[in-house]
Amino acid sequence: MNDKKNNVILEEYENEFSYKKSKTNLNIEFNRIAFIFFVFLVISIIYSIQLFHLGSLKLENEIKSLITKKNYRADIVDRNGNYLVKTVSSIDIGINPIEVIDKKKLLINLQLIFPNKDYTDISKKLEKNKYFYLEKKITADNYEKIMLLGDKSIKSEEKLTRIYPQKNLFSHIIGQIDDDNQGISGLEKSFNEKLKQIKEPLQLTVDTDIQFLIRKELVKFQSVFRSKGSTAILMNVNNGEIISMVSYPDFDLNKRETVSDLNFINRATKGVYELGSVFKTFTVAAGLDEGLIETDTEFLNLEKRLKCEKNVINEYNKKIPSDLTVEQILIRSSNIGSVRIGQKLEIDKLKSFLEKIGVLNRIDFDIEEVGEPIPFRWGKCKLATVSFGHGITTTPLQLAKGYAIITNGGFEIKPSLIKRNLEDNKNQKRIIKEGVSQKINLILRKIVTTKEGTAGFANIEGYEVGGKTGTAQKTTIGGYSKAKVNTFASIFPTSEPKYVMVVLLDEPKTSEDYIYKYKNKVGSYKGTPFNTAGWTSVEVAGKILERIGPILATKYIEN
Amino acid sequence: MKKITFVTIFVLILITSLVKNSTKEIEDKIFVLNENIRPLKSELGDMLLEYSYLSSPDQLTQYQYQFFEKDLIKIDIIKIKKLTEKNNHIKASDFIEKSNDE
Repeated sequence: MNDKKNNVILEEYENEFSYKKSKTNLNIEFNRIAFIFFVFLVISIIYSIQLFHLGSLKLENEIKSLITKKNYRADIVDRNGNYLVKTVSSIDIGINPIEVIDKKKLLINLQLIFPNKDYTDISKKLEKNKYFYLEKKITADNYEKIMLLGDKSIKSEEKLTRIYPQKNLFSHIIGQIDDDNQGISGLEKSFNEKLKQIKEPLQLTVDTDIQFLIRKELVKFQSVFRSKGSTAILMNVNNGEIISMVSYPDFDLNKRETVSDLNFINRATKGVYELGSVFKTFTVAAGLDEGLIETDTEFLNLEKRLKCEKNVINEYNKKIPSDLTVEQILIRSSNIGSVRIGQKLEIDKLKSFLEKIGVLNRIDFDIEEVGEPIPFRWGKCKLATVSFGHGITTTPLQLAKGYAIITNGGFEIKPSLIKRNLEDNKNQKRIIKEGVSQKINLILRKIVTTKEGTAGFANIEGYEVGGKTGTAQKTTIGGYSKAKVNTFASIFPTSEPKYVMVVLLDEPKTSEDYIYKYKNKVGSYKGTPFNTAGWTSVEVAGKILERIGPILATKYIEN
Repeated sequence: MKKITFVTIFVLILITSLVKNSTKEIEDKIFVLNENIRPLKSELGDMLLEYSYLSSPDQLTQYQYQFFEKDLIKIDIIKIKKLTEKNNHIKASDFIEKSNDE
């Protein structure tokens, strides 16, 4: 009965499985290899990036480590690469007595390296268990020897100090830094951040040799004319580069003294003075620029005395004729003649000319110690006094700038202490009409060469010096004092001016013993007959020029 | 085509690693040189500082007073001559030409 149920039917099934290539488009073999290559490629790219990154980090860190060193400041060099300021690192060696293992052994070893030290004192210090300095600014040899001792108690401290190899010579230009490494005056202040960041030295336009020679003459004449102080600026008229800027008295930067005496101010940039007749050149230049006068324009029947409200204007020399040409007004330094030119110009034109050449407003300069000309209200009487340089103030630096512009062909310049690329000085803007400079330069030359001129002592052969003197009384509250400011603004060579030099003596006195040697005639004269610029600052300028002239003429022949 | 691509990539990787390897060697050399230059630069700076100080006009004037009996003299620009060489002949001429108003 159950036979039917237990029957097993065996059937041979056809094996339908056969190996076939994947019908999909994916090629597994190819993708696996590509993937491996891709992974390798990514790894190699990451590795390369990392390598480049590490490579660049090394350089950056190297610069950073130098710059972020405490008290780091870049060096300052003159135009010839001589160091004016240098940051030097020094190593101080100290001993921490607590860490000394064998005091006797240490003392014996130290005696071998520093035989001249007082070891009873050092021994006492070791007993006190207080950290002390064994040697400050150690030499390289001794540093190596002491480090080879391998004593843990010996500690070395690297310090950075600022060295000024030229001592007083650039004190006002460079300025000082405080104990926290912050510049407090001069370029150290105005370039404080830059000096902390740059790696290369900051190059200035000044020349150490010329600065030295000018300062030497100022120091010499300080004792001759017993002035309160003096200043001299030598500047290139074509690009405003300051070759020398001396203000005396000065101070030694290495001593790091606090200078609070006002007599030590930078007279060249901070001193604001009424400079007198040196301004007459600007009045004449303004008249020529406006086309209102020519050098041969005549002014007839000039008074000897003018009165404007409370002001009485006199000629300083009664021998000055009543009829003068513009040229003669400037050569003879006629006050009344200058007033007449000023009146012809009127307020707006004279004011705008003085603003244009940069003597009326505060100058933008590389150092922050800059004086601000005293503002005043223009009026008829002010116009008259300003025309011959009274009742108007400015700084010697601005005076030099003004003279540079009116003599260099009328091109604007910016006085600078920082050496810049020649490209920066190109494309100068002409602010005074063509031809004015040539006329002015001829008159300035005659002031030095002619008998009527006031600057004969500056007629040094070979340099074609031209210039204008200015003798002004110093202002006090409500009037004028007897003290004087004697100025000489000169340019040379007048045929093609290259340099402007301003010499200012603050409160000079006459000298009884000084012997003047005439330049325009034979002979000499003993004693200073008049306390005027012609007998004081012109003489100083002449002596300076005799010293620096050969250097300027030969060293900068190609410039 | 695929084989060529693989081979190219492989060769490129090989070349890159070879170049990188040689670059690394050069970098190491540069690093060693820079490390050697650094103390020399510092030494040069110190030497130049010393030179600046010793040859400063103030210092030279002091030496002059100390070691020489005669004073330094001013050079008159009129006496300076300009030497020019032409066809193996040296010609001396005035450095400053006198202007009419001198």
